[in-house]
Amino acid sequence: MQDEQNLVHRAKQGDGEAFAQLYENHFDKIYRYVVFRIGNKTEAEDVTQQVFLNALQSIHSFKWKGVPFSAWLYRIAHNSVVDYFRKSKKIVTAPLDDSLASSGDNPQLITEHRLDIEQLISATKQLTKAQREVISLRFAGELPVAEVAKVMGKSEGAVKALQHSAVVALRKVLLRAED
Amino acid sequence: MEKAGEFNNILDDCLERLLFKGETIERCLQSYPEYAADIEPLLQTAMATKQALAIQPHPEFKTRARYQFHSALQQVKPRRAWLFRGWQPQWAMVVAIILIFLLAGSGTVAAANGSMPDEALYPVKLATEQVWLALTPSTIGKAELNVNLADRRMVEIARMVNKNRTEHLERVTNRLNRHLVRMAALAEARTREEKVALAPARVPSPSYEAGGDNRVHVRNGRLARFRRTVAWYAVRHPEALQAMLRTAPESAKPSLRRALAIAKARYQQVLEAVEAEGSD
Repeated sequence: MQDEQNLVHRAKQGDGEAFAQLYENHFDKIYRYVVFRIGNKTEAEDVTQQVFLNALQSIHSFKWKGVPFSAWLYRIAHNSVVDYFRKSKKIVTAPLDDSLASSGDNPQLITEHRLDIEQLISATKQLTKAQREVISLRFAGELPVAEVAKVMGKSEGAVKALQHSAVVALRKVLLRAED
Repeated sequence: MEKAGEFNNILDDCLERLLFKGETIERCLQSYPEYAADIEPLLQTAMATKQALAIQPHPEFKTRARYQFHSALQQVKPRRAWLFRGWQPQWAMVVAIILIFLLAGSGTVAAANGSMPDEALYPVKLATEQVWLALTPSTIGKAELNVNLADRRMVEIARMVNKNRTEHLERVTNRLNRHLVRMAALAEARTREEKVALAPARVPSPSYEAGGDNRVHVRNGRLARFRRTVAWYAVRHPEALQAMLRTAPESAKPSLRRALAIAKARYQQVLEAVEAEGSD
């Protein structure tokens, strides 16, 4: 894979191929992040597309300055999700549909999986905003702690503490739900 | 406090190894036996979370999204270039600037640019496009604009299929057809213009030998770019329509099949026209 810094540099100069490569590198993770934050596949598809169109429009303003490209992209994703909620004024969303199942033809597996996602999204609604964000970025977005810290504007130590408290809280909520 | 920080670091190390490097919970626990009892339940929760999140975007959505993104990429440059590319009479430039200044100052027109056939501002979008066409003086400029407008119609078709608003498909397909017919006619007209324009230039003149006839080079460069754009869309548009056909509701399929037949035939016609020109 080409060096991301080089791709970003070329994309800033208007090189469409470079931007298309950045799109391919990040699309699935951004989609997961958005699905997790919104909890509705159809809406998440629209928001994910918007994230990349917004990124395309503002790539010229991106400056390295120690902030990785992915952190910049997740900030756009975060803002798009916030905009989505502001516009739709709804936090509780429609149930997740079949296409959220990851893969495979085994109906039992798909049903279990789907239940897990629903449980998870429902459980994270009981976490604090910051805890939810850290879970989204770390587990759905698969960002390393250093980049999560850049997106959230916190220190790495603070993100690790938040990650710890988020996993503990999530476990408690999930266990309570099982009872 | 220090102990809490240490625990956070250990948990993060285990999560990193478990979630992103494919290690097992047991191996992580072996590295930190004194914390095993506290860490194990958290790692199990983390694994369950990770598993639940192993979702992939639907392949059809990916195809559609990729197509729309590539269309946006294609439109970034030409949109700026339309107005300032090449020579134009001064009065036309002045009128164009005033009009566009007025249009750009209107939030309605800006908002209409991204509107879809099922939205109230869509007629404003179509009217704005007619202004662009009227203000584009050259044959090749109009042909290029029609390619870009055909691509807009494609995005609208994709969106209408996605939203299951199939009642709009037939009209958008008719508009797509009109753009492609115009583009084919303009490409053929351009062929005739080019033959006339290039005839004297084939007689070597001192200025041409010295590279002084810039108009010929500008024309050829623009034509080459037009050929590349048409060749790109001639593949992309039918591909996108075929992808849509695979998952579209039955009610959308007749319009999509018609759009596919139109796209294949018209692009072939344009490519033949520009290739014939290039081979002269």
